[in-house]
Amino acid sequence: MTAPLHGRRILVTGAARGIGLATLARLVAEGASVAALDRDAPALAALPGRLGRALGHFVAVDVADAAAIAEAVRASAAALGGLDGIVNAAGVDLYADIEAMAPADWDRVIAVNLTAPFFVIRAAYPFLKAAGGGTIVNVSSAAGLSPLRNRTAYCASKAGLQMASKALAIEAAAFGVRVNTVCPGAVETELFRSSFASAFPDAPDEGAIRDAVRARYVLNRIAEPEEIAAAIVWLSGPESSYVTGVALAVDGGRSFH
Amino acid sequence: MDARRFLGKTVVITGAAHGIGAATARRFLDEGARVAAIDREADGFAGLEAEHGRLLAVAGDCTDAAALADFHARALAAFGPVDVLFNNVGQSGRERAVEFHASSEEVWRFVLEVSLFTTMRMARLVAPAMRERGCGRIVNMSSDAAFVGDAGLADYAAAKMGVVGFTRALARELAPFGVTVNAVAPGAIRTRAHDRLAPGVIDRIKAGAPAGFIAEPEDVAGCVAFLASDDARYVTGQTLMIDGGRWMI
Repeated sequence: MTAPLHGRRILVTGAARGIGLATLARLVAEGASVAALDRDAPALAALPGRLGRALGHFVAVDVADAAAIAEAVRASAAALGGLDGIVNAAGVDLYADIEAMAPADWDRVIAVNLTAPFFVIRAAYPFLKAAGGGTIVNVSSAAGLSPLRNRTAYCASKAGLQMASKALAIEAAAFGVRVNTVCPGAVETELFRSSFASAFPDAPDEGAIRDAVRARYVLNRIAEPEEIAAAIVWLSGPESSYVTGVALAVDGGRSFH
Repeated sequence: MDARRFLGKTVVITGAAHGIGAATARRFLDEGARVAAIDREADGFAGLEAEHGRLLAVAGDCTDAAALADFHARALAAFGPVDVLFNNVGQSGRERAVEFHASSEEVWRFVLEVSLFTTMRMARLVAPAMRERGCGRIVNMSSDAAFVGDAGLADYAAAKMGVVGFTRALARELAPFGVTVNAVAPGAIRTRAHDRLAPGVIDRIKAGAPAGFIAEPEDVAGCVAFLASDDARYVTGQTLMIDGGRWMI
């Protein structure tokens, strides 16, 4: 059996760390050609060394910058000779009660988590249509299925991403393009760890925070990025051939979706 | 992906002689598993047995508790404790499908028995050892008809939504023991039941999902294998729609 994704050309945003990086590594391991987009230029430049082989293409870009994204996607498609799939993994988090949240905070969360994936998809769409059998996987969150306290903007952005994906799945099916979302629970990433102070201001220590987070999930643990990447890569390949418009929760048993 | 993800694993599949069950059995065998399969029509296993020496094919009716217990005992004796259970057996009784006002309790009982109770019965047989061993995967067969609620299939929708609730509750109970429980909910799949439909009905079914085509049993097998694999170890209590986008709520 050849590597299942051999020959597929896939672009990943937020590729320099966390879920995006784990996805990139898994795609490379399964034989895909990849393009990596991230706003962190130094982290991006270190990727080929970290992954142990040369990548197809990488671009330092802020996903919220529509013009720059359009150019980055075009350049990536040119470098890879087309695009068969995209993975929108870039995202930001925000913990704030409604009174503490400034309008600019709300705007930034919506811009990065909901609007930016649309920019990427729109730029990549002609290439996905042309490729046939294209896949779009948007990284949403279990918080977009089942809400969490002090996360109004985050939950709304992730639920919005799910519905945009489902609506797009209808029209994209005409071109053989499948559109799905993956909805992670808590994942061991820098983004997750950076939230501790704002999410659990009263917790005595990190152990207490982790206990509180684990207790949300019936499997009673926090996921590794590789566990989310596995589902993303599965939805980006031929194994999920008749799956489109789904929100697949990889959340250790919280949403029971 | 390792092409033999289930090497040395024992997989139990109900209703495995045809369609999705057979495609899934073949898939697990191809990936190295030992497969214990039960079906009322055991002659359908012939093709699988010729290819693999790791198949235990048992003729039996999953609605018969004693027969199912006997099947489980034979699977244990042949292959050891069950790592993966795919509760596939079920049917809509479509040849007797009528609108609910004209339906009979006899048919409800048949549909609920074959599409829900068989799932509970087989899960009841494997759950104690999975708990004890601290590992295991259960994948239950639901249907997108449970969510859509197709006219003429009220009993089937009830049974398959029953599978969803059962899946969630069992996922909660078994999570502390490292056992995941999920369901798949296929839409239009080319099986014997579909082959019996009139061409006009087939066209309507194709048009009913954005994907615009009827999937093959292998499309479902890929999903079941994913949920049964190590890759899905953080997925539990979920119902995965495999229906080309027919139901997206």
